Amino acid sequence: MTLRTELLPLLLALTLASFACRAGGFWLMRFVIVTPRLRATLAAAPLAVMIGIVTPAALRGGLAEIVGLAATFAAMRLWRSDLLAMFVGVAAVALARAIQL
Amino acid sequence: MFVWGITFGLMGRDAGLSALESTLMSALVYSGTAQAATVGGFAAGAGILAGMATVLMLNARYLLYGASLRPWLGECGPAQAYATLCFLGDANWAMATKANAEGERDAAFIFGSGVSMYLPWIAGTLSGAIAGNWIADPRTLGIDFLLVAFCAAMAMDLFKSRADLAPALTAALVAALLDRLAPSGWTLVAAGLAGGLAAWLRHKDVP
Repeated sequence: MTLRTELLPLLLALTLASFACRAGGFWLMRFVIVTPRLRATLAAAPLAVMIGIVTPAALRGGLAEIVGLAATFAAMRLWRSDLLAMFVGVAAVALARAIQL
Repeated sequence: MFVWGITFGLMGRDAGLSALESTLMSALVYSGTAQAATVGGFAAGAGILAGMATVLMLNARYLLYGASLRPWLGECGPAQAYATLCFLGDANWAMATKANAEGERDAAFIFGSGVSMYLPWIAGTLSGAIAGNWIADPRTLGIDFLLVAFCAAMAMDLFKSRADLAPALTAALVAALLDRLAPSGWTLVAAGLAGGLAAWLRHKDVP
């Protein structure tokens, strides 16, 4: 149980950014109107960030990681459960590594 | 939420965070996707600004949630309203919106549903981070892949219609290029901005 002091500014900054989003929409409604275009832009960002994480990992990964991603996608298609798909993907990577793929 | 918390505890552990650090992060930042992404960036050596930009983009949807709650939550005092917003999350926003459509008018419902999601998230993170200490070799179990699998599953969740295709492809292209040229915690920030921009440009107002 350690808490590194050099991590505290980062933690504080992330907390502020997160709270700004939670409170910001409620607060800003006094001044701006959310157009459908703005709504579409804000809604697209999370998907794009997630892809921004997956893409480099897929490019750098070996065969085991590719198998894991394929398993995650397949499980997601089959059961539409993100939690289950995630565990299937991790299990597939573990299995692929175990058989030295 | 408890299981999600465990998952983040394991991710944090894999990125070198202590159990206390992960739990504190869950308690303060309180956003699974944002925490997973920043922890990933942290492992890649990203700085404070890249981390903040990541959180802002991933939590931009909360701007929409908060805006939609305005008519309902605006009826109580600012102190109560902002305290409620501290615990705002995807699941409780969806629950509250549904309840409101069905006739629920008590804004305390938003607060209550928020806190009931928040507490298991914290407890789960602590459990996952502690359990992570007992795992001798996270690689054998594929724990290091947890973040990528999480993001892949989330991306599929978020991919709702054909309108998402252009932002998704733009993000993938930008991420692939930047990862080749200058790999850093900014790659995902750039991908997020490019995706948002693509959505902005491609948007057609339906009459």
